[in-house]
Amino acid sequence: MKIPQSPTRRAFLRSSSALLTLPFLESFGAKQFQYAAASAAATPPKRMMFLSFGWGPTKESWYPDINTTGSNYTLPAGLKGLMRHKKDLTIIQKLTNQFSDEAHWGSTFYLTGANRYAEPGQSFSNTISADQVAAEVLGKETRFTSIQLGCDKAEGSGHGPGLSLAWNRQGKPLAGLNNPVAAYHKLFADDKTPLAQRQAMLRQRRSVLDTVLENAKTMNRGLSVNDTDKLDEYFQSVREIEVRLSKEEQWLDVPKRRPTELEEPQDAIVGYEEVKLMYDIMVAAMQIDATRVLTYRQPVDTFIRSLGATISGHNMSHYTNGARRSVAEMRDEKQTELLAYLIDKLKATKEPDGSSLFDNVSLSYGSNIESIHYLKNCPTIITGGGAGVKHGRHLVMEGAKTPLCNLWLSLLQGSGIDVNSHGDSSGAIKELFV
Amino acid sequence: MNSFRAFITIAPLCLSPFAFSADVPEAVMPEIHFDFLNESCLDCHDSITEEGGMNLEELSFNIDTLEAAEKWQKVLNALNSGEMPPDDEPQPGRAEKTIFLDDLSHQLVTARKILSDSGGVITMRRLNRREYENTLEDLLGVKVSADELPNDGSSGGFDTVGSSLFFSSDQFEQYLKIARRVLDESLVAQKPKLFKKKREPEVDARELAETRYKRLFEANERAADWRKDETQDPTDFGFIDSARVGFEEGQFKNQGPAYRWFLDHPDSQTGVVFYVATPGAYVDRTTLPPTAAPGRYRLRARVAAFEDAPSHRKFLEYGTIEESSLQGELDVMGARCITGTLDNPQIVEIPIEVTSSKSRKIGLRERQPNSRNAARFALKKARKNGDATTNPALWIDWVEWEGPIVEQWPSPYYDNVFFKGPHAKPSDGYASEIIERFAQRAFRIQDPKPSFLKKLTVLYRNRRIEGDSFEEALKEPLSVVLASPAFLFLKEPGQNDEKRELADLELAVRLSYFLWSGPPDEALYEAALCGELSKPDGLRHQTERMLDHPKAWEFISGFTDQWLTMDRLDFFQFNYELYPEFDDSIKIAARDEVFHTINVLIQEKLPIGSLLKSDFVVINDLLADFYDIEGVEGHQFRKVKVPPESPRGGLLGTVAVMAMGSDGERSSPVERGAWVMRKLLNDPPPPAPANVPQLSRFADDLLPARDLQIAHMEEPQCAQCHRKIDPIGYGLQNFNAVGKWRELERVETDSKKVKEKVKYHPIDPSGILPNKTPFSNYFELRDQIAKHEDAFARGFTEALIEYGLGRPYGFTDYDLAEEILASSRHQEYDASAFIHALVQSQQFKQK
Repeated sequence: MKIPQSPTRRAFLRSSSALLTLPFLESFGAKQFQYAAASAAATPPKRMMFLSFGWGPTKESWYPDINTTGSNYTLPAGLKGLMRHKKDLTIIQKLTNQFSDEAHWGSTFYLTGANRYAEPGQSFSNTISADQVAAEVLGKETRFTSIQLGCDKAEGSGHGPGLSLAWNRQGKPLAGLNNPVAAYHKLFADDKTPLAQRQAMLRQRRSVLDTVLENAKTMNRGLSVNDTDKLDEYFQSVREIEVRLSKEEQWLDVPKRRPTELEEPQDAIVGYEEVKLMYDIMVAAMQIDATRVLTYRQPVDTFIRSLGATISGHNMSHYTNGARRSVAEMRDEKQTELLAYLIDKLKATKEPDGSSLFDNVSLSYGSNIESIHYLKNCPTIITGGGAGVKHGRHLVMEGAKTPLCNLWLSLLQGSGIDVNSHGDSSGAIKELFV
Repeated sequence: MNSFRAFITIAPLCLSPFAFSADVPEAVMPEIHFDFLNESCLDCHDSITEEGGMNLEELSFNIDTLEAAEKWQKVLNALNSGEMPPDDEPQPGRAEKTIFLDDLSHQLVTARKILSDSGGVITMRRLNRREYENTLEDLLGVKVSADELPNDGSSGGFDTVGSSLFFSSDQFEQYLKIARRVLDESLVAQKPKLFKKKREPEVDARELAETRYKRLFEANERAADWRKDETQDPTDFGFIDSARVGFEEGQFKNQGPAYRWFLDHPDSQTGVVFYVATPGAYVDRTTLPPTAAPGRYRLRARVAAFEDAPSHRKFLEYGTIEESSLQGELDVMGARCITGTLDNPQIVEIPIEVTSSKSRKIGLRERQPNSRNAARFALKKARKNGDATTNPALWIDWVEWEGPIVEQWPSPYYDNVFFKGPHAKPSDGYASEIIERFAQRAFRIQDPKPSFLKKLTVLYRNRRIEGDSFEEALKEPLSVVLASPAFLFLKEPGQNDEKRELADLELAVRLSYFLWSGPPDEALYEAALCGELSKPDGLRHQTERMLDHPKAWEFISGFTDQWLTMDRLDFFQFNYELYPEFDDSIKIAARDEVFHTINVLIQEKLPIGSLLKSDFVVINDLLADFYDIEGVEGHQFRKVKVPPESPRGGLLGTVAVMAMGSDGERSSPVERGAWVMRKLLNDPPPPAPANVPQLSRFADDLLPARDLQIAHMEEPQCAQCHRKIDPIGYGLQNFNAVGKWRELERVETDSKKVKEKVKYHPIDPSGILPNKTPFSNYFELRDQIAKHEDAFARGFTEALIEYGLGRPYGFTDYDLAEEILASSRHQEYDASAFIHALVQSQQFKQK
């Protein structure tokens, strides 16, 4: 594999045999370089992945028997495809978002645990999502602070309002990349424009921001409180872009890397193959260390149709015995198959220190919807070694209303993020780590 | 309408038409439920036991704080899910529980509304996607489809409600990008080249069929040769192995006949007959060269229909062929009825708008469900009947296209920007002037600040230094103007607690975004500047003028689609095996039917109650064919009289509303009943609660929908709402899943336990309205609902207030709604009267 490298980095590579596997990683920026040199690739970074599948899975065949906890449990039919990874994952039951009462919103409050009515005078509000809490720390050293992936027509897949799983500090939705082409392009496609020209463009973009800020400032005068809040979203957006630009500047002379094993996707990849490709893209993004925090709102509606079903995702999720139930079961089975595939890939991808991506990632897989219209027992599978969870078990929470946010808090803390609470959490789940 | 729930304490407010008082609305659980709480809950949840940390003893029956609402929500959730009371405790009576749940869920809805009431505050609004597109088009004359922008208003409600229109950083960059695209398209100095081309479509079609047939045929010949002695090496015959031989033989047998049939068809020598082959349906394709500029084009084709083809297929569909379309699929734009015969073909003319965001491949096709799977299903069916492929309905002789059609050059939009004409000398001073004029117009004739203009000019100069041409360099600051807050937000400065009158210009902007979803035109600005808008008559005159203008379609379609929640039409994939007629063309027409109906009400000043029942429909040829109405020719919509015995006439008889009340397979009495309560009776049932146990024990039985719903009456959690919802839906069961009239209900299962997979049941359309009025069939139901014009008018008014003022309808707006209703009632609920009353109201003219 030949990649263009900055002279200093090449020099370093020549001098250090410890970093033979480094070419897998995207070239480090100046700062990153020093960091890597100092710690000589000792510890690979922590990473976090959050996947949501919208409509709930089949109640009867997805959840393990509630009476068989610990390591001695049987994977139910809908999760059979995970057999080879059983030792490396944890299934948790009886986690819930207490405020959720929208039976079609599988992702809106999934990572936030917010109460939509919390703000008086508003009919909708949300709070920061777990991935964004992680991104504030883990995202500092990568080109992309976080990456949100999604699908087209997410509401038809049971995700509810929002633009991705991610909500920022202000509780506002963050946009996602809704198809493999867009995701690939953003993560891997390099700008062929010469450096000097790109520097000039960057300067120009700064002037653009400066210009619109000028306009925003004059607008700000004489606005009522509510309107000021609205305009503040504009200011906030400009600030976010400024942060992004400074980051881009740091990375300007570091070319984006195309992953070797991943071909540039074509249009019109929909459903099963789309999810698979998004998984490939996620793995590749971590492999070259383009980002360390990823979320994904998966398609369900097009997913089941790509498998031959003729009913909508919504109808499938309200299965009764018969055709709908078979579609629901097939969907579980196929999704599980893909999750197993993702875990395979994470395990097969090596880090510079010889460990695998799997060892350093914390992956969660689930939804806010239990099944049909039920919201009480959010489907939850976690895997990966990043958060230090002791895997291979089926855990059933004792309190029937243990906040789902307790899990997010545990995973955040386990991944080295210094937080004391998240959403409506009441404390970390100690059982995970013993 | 509300009399049946007279026991609700907020009832006085809704019941009495004389309740003009500004009574503070309350959400209060009726005291009769003390007993229920006492007997079913307090044993464990009192201040002493406090089981599960829940103490209900102190719980206020007046739900007036977020905390109280949360606690009551928990009570509701626990009862709905059946979690409480626990199984080993005494259970409340079913009737008692039903009423308790009914009251509590309604009171909670009221409480949430009160607690989230904006108090009449109108939050500054960002242009929503529709408005943004229209505003850009108004400025630069380019049709924009800003598909890359996120959806607006996904948290429910209208897309004009400022508080739910968010702004994100990605969006900002998209605005810049789109603006650039539009400027590139609009500010073209060269007059676009005019194209005119004619094709004989059989040339391409025959070549395609011949190539495919030849490949299949030759492989089959080689296979036959190999078959003569199967010990021969298959690779010598061009096959990897012997299995491949069988495969190729099968391919020829399956796919060959369709191509052969086409090539041999006498009418495919002189033109194209449409057919289906394994890869999909045949589509005639016109590809515009990359040098053809975006704009308006004209497509002409000489077409004929085969006489024996079913009438619904005698339509020519047209649309673009996008990258992602599979063979035979189109982004359908519309359909034209073909009445010409092979002896006497007709010439069809279709206007096509070519934009930079859509494909330049224009497809023509015989009307059919828009999916390759559907085409393959049709092919399979034809093959089963012994045919080579589907019977053709249409034939095309030739296709001609021309464009772009330019009425004026340079375009007025170009002239507007480069206002000194084509020979003006480029200079920095001229550039500054261009920027200033453009920004002023983009900001809805507000003067931009000099400091801002100065920075814009710097952007221009930077581009000049980088080597851009004068015109190119200007696009940079101009696109920044179109991403600036003064452009993207409808600014109305204001104090926090003090209301103030809008200035005339602000009123003009509010009015035009209400009725046109776009900026004011010259005449409206004029009216604002000369003070006409401050006079009721002047305002009325402008409103009248704007409603007559074609741009009012933006209001009619934008408002109606959201008011009647018509996005449901796109929720489901309709089963093409059962409903081959329900395709994309009918979906487009179904939506348009509702919009055109409302337009007719406004234009002809007809009562809003016509939407409940009327002796006319507003349809085109395609819908007439669907409804079996004779004598409607042409694709334009027009008013058509229907006899009293027709089920059509009024929203309930429209294909749109009935199809929305199905899941694409079966009609849903629940969806339809709930929709009627929400939209026609203005008595919305509370949202479907989470965690209610689902009923599925009937799943294997081939029961009619009506019998299935009976299970809803068994559990109080379900019965509380379904006892009102379902019976309305029964009255609509004579409409199938796509809104066609039927006498029998078809039920199908694929359960292995059942022998007979399909059953037909006679329909019992009798039922009862929530106010206990019985009806024996659909016609009586429609008559009964038509009596509720007052309630319907109220619902319409509330929706109009929310849409027009851009804030959720709240209790604060109660007096305003009353005022509008009273004034419209004077004019027999004439549809346009509501709009005038809202525009003339104090609230509309205030920040």
